[in-house]
Amino acid sequence: MDNSASNDKIKDKGRRRFLALSGGLGLLWLGAAAYPVYKFISPQPVPDPFGEEGRAVVKKLTPADCVRPGSGGNGSIGNIGVIVFRTPEGELRAFTSKCTHAGCNVNFTGEKIVCHCHGGQYDLTGKNISGPPPKPLTQLKVFEENGVLYVAPLDKTEKA
Amino acid sequence: MDDRFVPVPKEAEDRLPPESSASGKLLRYLLRRLPVWPLIAFFAKKKVPQHKHSAWYTLGGIAMFFFMVQVITGVLLMIYYNPGSPWQSVQRIVMEIPFGGLIRSIHHWSANLMILTLCLHMFSTFFMKAYRPPREITWLTGLALFGITLTLGFSGYLLPWDDLSFFATRIGISEMDKIPIIGPWMGGILRGGPDVTVETIGRFYPLHVVVLPLALIGILGLHLLLIQVQGVSEPDSFRALPEEKKKYHKFFSEFLFAEIPIWLFMMGILVLLSAMFPRGLMPEADPGSAAPEGIKPEWYFMVPFQMLKIFPGALEFVGMVIMGLLPLAFVAVPFIDRNVPEDARGRLVARAGIAVVLVAVAFTIWGWLS
Repeated sequence: MDNSASNDKIKDKGRRRFLALSGGLGLLWLGAAAYPVYKFISPQPVPDPFGEEGRAVVKKLTPADCVRPGSGGNGSIGNIGVIVFRTPEGELRAFTSKCTHAGCNVNFTGEKIVCHCHGGQYDLTGKNISGPPPKPLTQLKVFEENGVLYVAPLDKTEKA
Repeated sequence: MDDRFVPVPKEAEDRLPPESSASGKLLRYLLRRLPVWPLIAFFAKKKVPQHKHSAWYTLGGIAMFFFMVQVITGVLLMIYYNPGSPWQSVQRIVMEIPFGGLIRSIHHWSANLMILTLCLHMFSTFFMKAYRPPREITWLTGLALFGITLTLGFSGYLLPWDDLSFFATRIGISEMDKIPIIGPWMGGILRGGPDVTVETIGRFYPLHVVVLPLALIGILGLHLLLIQVQGVSEPDSFRALPEEKKKYHKFFSEFLFAEIPIWLFMMGILVLLSAMFPRGLMPEADPGSAAPEGIKPEWYFMVPFQMLKIFPGALEFVGMVIMGLLPLAFVAVPFIDRNVPEDARGRLVARAGIAVVLVAVAFTIWGWLS
């Protein structure tokens, strides 16, 4: 009677060790299978829109669109939207067009910058002045060369 | 209590954890809303006969495992595959996406092993005479599943849009064109025009990733339901044993716990094959170029391929008639060989089966070597 009880105990111990081992191996196996899948579905690196030259051609806008003070419009570099315009004072400016509130692309109206989705407004320095946007728009450096508009990231020290 | 609640059955009460425990509460909560106890009781009794041919019973489960691998790797490949620029997107999967080549190779090898497993599964049920009444519908749904799987293999072959895809699909559909009356119409519908173009991918892609998998899952459901309702088939020799000598494994969990390690082993085989023989990508399909030298179909299409080669010219229709009648012969099997042990028809069908296996193996090897 006692003997069989202790036998059961030994069996139990072996059983527990076997289950722990198979559980551990199972987890190891799952990890080995999950890692390639995780790497596969992770977002792939996106190329720098400004490339090696540190600047990008603005598509869908030409310098001619921004000659008159108060004129300008929406363009793009790669998958990024930008707005380029000339202020009533005659300065050429560029911002990324993604609204800081919920990500719609903003619209340059001549006197200010508005977002049609939730009524956000920015002044011509990109500062959020009305509605839900929490932050100013990101300003870009803009220049004209051989009839083409270029934008580049703003140096840390520069400000509108 | 609202009478729309289901009372927990007495035998369930006896086996559930005490009502005071959290798991006991949760299980009773579920059972009062979902009256699934009869199902649980049914599956608890599910058993698998134990005899010297028992190993064959694992094959259907292994084929299902490969199908699950196909679904998972297929969904992953769909993330980056683009039917608008097919070859470029597959090249990106292989060259740029981390583990992309591995996942594509596993998809390829799992497809091959799924078809191989189905061949073995089919012939084991054939020679165990598991198709006999009342299991005719299980046999017929099995044949349909085999046909769908082959069509999945054929449609998936085109999607990378390399030289091999292009010519394999052109040959396959041009054979279909030769079927009298409906052939040209079917070929045109599949190609989306007189020749294989990217337009054909527009048709094969939804077929490969939506239509055929859904059809497979639906018919597989019926196939499995029939096996639950009718029980696992027992060979005559086992059935003839006296009751006390018949041994069974419980499906839950003895049989399943033996099957899971086989699946893990198969997963290992898949990774090993994919690492040692990764699936290649030929140059992009060019309808103007010559077919690559030594172009051959996958091994599972070698039988019709050889059949077409041995009947030249005007005799080609002989090969096509044989290949057309073969599936019909398989369909007819359970209606010819009925439930009469050791009768003449049963022996005839078994001999015909052996002949088909020998010819199929011989043709496959011959096609491989020639």
